[in-house]
Amino acid sequence: MKEVLWLISNSLRSIIKDKKRLFTYLFVPLIGILIGIAAYGNTGPTTMYAGVVNHDNGKIAKDTVKFISGINNVKVTNIDSSKVRDQIASGKLDCVIILDSGFSKSVMNGDPDHIEIVSIKGASITGFVKSYVNNYLSNVASLNKAAGGDQAAFQQMYDQYKASSFKLEGHSLKDTSKNNDITGQTIGFLIMIMLSSAGGLSEIIIREKENRTYLRLMSSPINSRIYVFSNVVVNMIIMFVQILITLTVMTKVFHISPGVSFWTMVGVLLIFALAGVGLSLVITSFASTTASAGAMQNLIMTPTCLLAGCFWPVEIMPKTMQKIAEFLPQRWLLDTITQLQKGHTLSSLSMNISILFAFAMAFFMIAIYKFSRGNNVRNFI
Amino acid sequence: MNVLEINNLTKKFSDFIAVDNMSLTIKEGEIFGFLGSNGAGKSTTINMVAGLLRSNEGEIKILGKNIANHSKFAKRNIGIVPQDLAIYEDLTAFENVRFFAGLYGLRGAELKDRVEEALKFVGLVDKQKSLPKNFSGGMKRRLNIACAIAHKPKLIIMDEPTVGIDPQSRNYILNSVRQLNEMGCTVIYTSHYMEEVEEICSRIAIVDHGKIIAEGTKEQLKAIITDTKDIWVDVKSNENLEENVIKEINGVNTVQVEDNVVKINSQAEVSNLNKIIQYFINRNIEIRSLEEQAPNLETVFLTLTGRNLRD
Repeated sequence: MKEVLWLISNSLRSIIKDKKRLFTYLFVPLIGILIGIAAYGNTGPTTMYAGVVNHDNGKIAKDTVKFISGINNVKVTNIDSSKVRDQIASGKLDCVIILDSGFSKSVMNGDPDHIEIVSIKGASITGFVKSYVNNYLSNVASLNKAAGGDQAAFQQMYDQYKASSFKLEGHSLKDTSKNNDITGQTIGFLIMIMLSSAGGLSEIIIREKENRTYLRLMSSPINSRIYVFSNVVVNMIIMFVQILITLTVMTKVFHISPGVSFWTMVGVLLIFALAGVGLSLVITSFASTTASAGAMQNLIMTPTCLLAGCFWPVEIMPKTMQKIAEFLPQRWLLDTITQLQKGHTLSSLSMNISILFAFAMAFFMIAIYKFSRGNNVRNFI
Repeated sequence: MNVLEINNLTKKFSDFIAVDNMSLTIKEGEIFGFLGSNGAGKSTTINMVAGLLRSNEGEIKILGKNIANHSKFAKRNIGIVPQDLAIYEDLTAFENVRFFAGLYGLRGAELKDRVEEALKFVGLVDKQKSLPKNFSGGMKRRLNIACAIAHKPKLIIMDEPTVGIDPQSRNYILNSVRQLNEMGCTVIYTSHYMEEVEEICSRIAIVDHGKIIAEGTKEQLKAIITDTKDIWVDVKSNENLEENVIKEINGVNTVQVEDNVVKINSQAEVSNLNKIIQYFINRNIEIRSLEEQAPNLETVFLTLTGRNLRD
């Protein structure tokens, strides 16, 4: 135990002394938060710019334009029909509502027609305007139906409809989706950095062999098991600090709630960290030089992070890719966090946690098997 | 007391036998020279003694205890100075020695004292706060030694400790070996420089193909080859020289040409000097000087193994 503590304390001292390495290990994960905020932080109310071409001079048409102008976050501009194409194509207007001649009459007849919405931004824009306009026009048409063709009665009901007041009670709902998205992005980036750190720290074993210091270490009273174990502990300490810093900055500095309790998040990430260390040891056990270890890391870690959905939602990928992602520990970590954000308890996610543990154990077993085989000492003496 | 005892040691790498049924005993207070060309089995033997490799057969005892059962005890009593530098370039000289000494359980004031003592011994006290990357080759070699001796081992294994360094550092290291020995350390010393081994070692073993083919003091080893003599012929040019033709002269064992010196090993009782001189005259090869050499370890090695130590 004394030897393990000696090795750990010296490794940590060496990391702390190397400011560049320390910065990379501890502060690069914070970039994930900034990326998350840049990608998802700007989802507040936006203004929609709508153009109106009114070829109908009827009262209903004028009132419809007035109604659209009154919708929150919609800015209406009257334009000439010749400019519709240019304004839409240049993106100055999100959509244009064209009221053709006969529009008011068609509404009065109970069958609204001669209205057209032009947009190149799809249903996300037209759907919003359509639902408001449809609602308004169907109310007007209903009034006309109720009046039974009596123009005076319709006018009276219509005026009352416009003047009537509604009692509106507003309840604010907390939009957690934005925070969850930022958390997902931050954790995705943190996963990548954690794996990279684990790879870098395990690579030290190969560097020791290349520098022959491993020979001197092994000729002292410590053995390879103690040495690898101390490396794992150092790895876990560094990743624990990485997790703490990232989550603290995310919650305390940027006030982004991950939707999961702080320590639950730390615990889940630490289980993943164990799997990450295991994976890096597997790579180290198969690589013979630091160059080959680096290449193997890039070859394994980056694609698996992309596949697992560290940088974008896994749902946008083809089904086959999603199936492959289920064989990756990163996917199980992200899924665990998503489920926790949805309100599941940790105990109900025991399957996810067990699978993450199983990944860690499998990686360690492979690494131990590989380390214990062959006369590797010949390669570095 | 036997510091090291090797009995019937064998190490195989697949079909290749690196160490073949080797037995050896090194007593306390000896400086033991281990001679052998590359691939002879020296390093494999040393690595097994240092606990870095497991043998296939045989046993190794350090201070009477089998290392298979007393690995920690054995390692605590051994200090290894590897052929390649085994130091951290990003740690200062003091931190390097401190780290390695700490692996042997030393802590606190005792650790600090031992580190300073080791650095003083190798003459690096003034440089203890410097990084090895700023050191000369000789200074790095000395730091390599300091890392191996701070825990005061009983047995120090030095594998080619003077490779690639200046004569001044080499002398410093050779004196250090003597001093360590005077302080009670037993030393196993391997080197490609025969004169070093001859100068400092009290007993020498010659290893070839994984076996010890000769063992004893340098006088005992030289006595093995009293039946041969060395004739060195310094010639103006070796252009027309044919080694095989010289070898055919009665009594000649081996012929080697190094620059313009023809080194001929011949049976002592055969009188063939005239024939040898005649060969050079016949070939119009001008002789600048000719001398008969007293036997040395180089000759012994060459005679026993059929090749030079550096082959």
